[in-house]
Amino acid sequence: MVSLVAPSPSAHSRKELVADLIAMVKPEQVLWDDENQRPFECDGLAVYRQMPWVTVIPDNIAQVQAIMAYCYGQQIPVVVRGAGTGLCAGAMPHASGVLLVMTRFDKVLELDGDLAQARVQPGVRNLALSEAAAPLGLYYAPDPSSQIACTIGGNVAENAGGVHCLKYGLTVNNLLAVTIVTMEGELVTFGGAGFDTPGMDLVALLSGSEGLLGVVVEATVRLLPRAEKVQVLMAAFDSVQVAGDAVAELIGSGVIPAGLEMMDQLAITAAEDFVKVGYPTDAKALLICELDGTSAEVAQQLQAVKSCFTDCGATSIRVAKDADEAARLWLGRKSAFPAVGRMSPDYYCMDGTIPRSQVGHVLTRIAELSVHYDLPVANVFHAGDGNLHPLILFNDAQPGDLEKAEALGGDILTLCVDVGGTITGEHGVGLEKLPLMPYQFSDQEVAQFRGIKLAFDPHEQLNPGKAIPTLKYCQEYRSIQHD
Amino acid sequence: MTDITAQLQEQVLIARTTEQPLNIVGANTKSGLGRISKGQTLSVREHQGVISYSPSELVIRVRAGTTISCINHVLAEQNQRLIFEPPVFNEQATMGGTLAANQSGPCRPWFGGVRDSVLGLGLINGLGEHMQFGGQVMKNVAGFDVSRSQVGAMGTLGVITDVSLKVLPAFESEVTMALNCPVHEALHLMPRYFREHLPVTGVSFWQGQLLVRLQGSQAGVDSAMKLIPGEPMEPLLAAQWWHKLRECQVFESSQSQVLWRHNLGATDQQDMCHDDCLLNWGGAQRWQLLPEGEEATNGAIRYLGGSREAEVNGPVNSVARKLQGKLKMAFDPQSIFNPGRLYSWM
Repeated sequence: MVSLVAPSPSAHSRKELVADLIAMVKPEQVLWDDENQRPFECDGLAVYRQMPWVTVIPDNIAQVQAIMAYCYGQQIPVVVRGAGTGLCAGAMPHASGVLLVMTRFDKVLELDGDLAQARVQPGVRNLALSEAAAPLGLYYAPDPSSQIACTIGGNVAENAGGVHCLKYGLTVNNLLAVTIVTMEGELVTFGGAGFDTPGMDLVALLSGSEGLLGVVVEATVRLLPRAEKVQVLMAAFDSVQVAGDAVAELIGSGVIPAGLEMMDQLAITAAEDFVKVGYPTDAKALLICELDGTSAEVAQQLQAVKSCFTDCGATSIRVAKDADEAARLWLGRKSAFPAVGRMSPDYYCMDGTIPRSQVGHVLTRIAELSVHYDLPVANVFHAGDGNLHPLILFNDAQPGDLEKAEALGGDILTLCVDVGGTITGEHGVGLEKLPLMPYQFSDQEVAQFRGIKLAFDPHEQLNPGKAIPTLKYCQEYRSIQHD
Repeated sequence: MTDITAQLQEQVLIARTTEQPLNIVGANTKSGLGRISKGQTLSVREHQGVISYSPSELVIRVRAGTTISCINHVLAEQNQRLIFEPPVFNEQATMGGTLAANQSGPCRPWFGGVRDSVLGLGLINGLGEHMQFGGQVMKNVAGFDVSRSQVGAMGTLGVITDVSLKVLPAFESEVTMALNCPVHEALHLMPRYFREHLPVTGVSFWQGQLLVRLQGSQAGVDSAMKLIPGEPMEPLLAAQWWHKLRECQVFESSQSQVLWRHNLGATDQQDMCHDDCLLNWGGAQRWQLLPEGEEATNGAIRYLGGSREAEVNGPVNSVARKLQGKLKMAFDPQSIFNPGRLYSWM
């Protein structure tokens, strides 16, 4: 488990810092006692915990600018937090830093039905945006499983995905403009209401930058029209290899589903036990496929998908008869994480992406690793885009179990890199995956990332110690690998 | 199929030692865009070939000097297509230049631009280091998104050596609907193509004619065309129009004239909304040819023609300028690559 390097003590005492912050915001917007700060000590990856030094909850941009300019001048680290649903300890606080909580920026500033765009504050919840756009027949496409709670600012920071990425893209593909406050407290907007503003694409650079380059204070996003028709079907297979091949075959044949999800037997059983949606628990793998478009398009695609899966050896195919049944088929998939959570005191969620053609090979290897480490692994993943979420079951109360789970997770992610993929598809690096960065990137590439970081944040105060390792760390990593 | 990465790296290292700026060139089809950069030519033209292509992965990886025409041909053999419909510029345009100059076709608002297709790339920075960012998979959030940041940078951050792109199946069917109407009525009709789920892949207005292109499955196009006002256009004429629009051939600019381009919110009723304007991207991209000396509306860029000495991309505020300047230094500390090509100050 990675820990942050012990910070050099600030010249400030906490008392002085609190007094200075209260001069910028209202007293109730500053928290410093343990009881009030406890909810902020971790994000969705709760094994990583750190109490913040001081927490500030600003409610306007001028306050954010003042706080950032002050922290810049005083060389105080700043960690930005949205809803804290991230899964890589990216929002874990800094022991001698300010935690900037952006949840009060919760207004949809503008909904433009004609342009199919929304201008929002960063604390707007992902699902709340789609709900606000619903009367216009529109929705916001990126739909991470935490969408009920996660916020747009956090989605931008992590470049969040979801189950509909293959057809509708990640956050970056749905983001038109972003306004940030820099570490120095300056306000700047990149992008605009139109597409492709001139110059280098800094909207893309900020997407997925994990709070290392600036504080997102506003975003303009695209909204999409609801499809006329949505159809969901489920296909069972008697091996994960065959199901994986069916995914490659379907996409190679020219059908691009709105969502294409796969679960293995452990995940199927766990979900069925939990929500009882009628999944075939004897199946070794299940594919859930969503098609959308005009009624005519969907009818044509449905035939193509059915015949493809049948030809590939599906043991059963069930087409949802109505919206209610479609919702139930999705419910099993969407409940898979908590369902697996019921089977074990703790679980650890991985997030590698691999080429689709490697699905069978990688799942077979994960099964071998599971036996080797003696920890069960349930597999749930976005098959359409090769994004795996192996869930490693362990018991934190058992000494050594967490370390074993982390070692197994590390082996799974290096396997993803070995087959041409990546250590993280949508959850981010944060603190958690920092040790694996030198496996995926050369020292020169890491040095280039550090150069970008310093261009925005010359003293490395923004979310320090996360996402990009130091070169010293990379060199140590390589010397250990050689030994 | 030639890999000249080592040679390119060598040239960058020499330029670094001699402090001699480099002007990165593919097939030179975009020499009229941006500002003029003075420097020794670094040609990527010979760095060609498809490195890998797997149709079932929907991913192709090519060297930067590979022409768009070549990529289109390779994909068509597998019944697939580049998603962002870039111009081919007399079959010479290369993938590296297309990415650097951010060139997307009429389908941009509905299928995304270059940035939305890029999965990864190889880059030689100003220190002569060859690096890989992103990859060949659909989702990848490890490290900063260096790949997409190169889009529109006009080669100022490094030499692009290879590009990995997401591709999609070719369309089964296509039809263009034509309606005669004045420009303001066209602007009034255009928003529905953003807010309704239709297989629209192009909406343009020129000389009193609103054209809506539908592409997709046979069933999808057949059912959608009944919902679009106007008459189906003769397929050959329609194909010629979308080609002309994509290749930027509607206007012929000259030294004494400037072709202005404005990318803006599609529903804007004021900016560059005249009868002599060309509207593309459902109104989100507008073009106007004006005599040199006459300025278009605020926010428009000097796309082609006229003097290339002044700024062509309009003003940049001081914070954005400072950050872009520092970013340039992070990639190219000695300012070797394309000095002045994007902005006079970079």
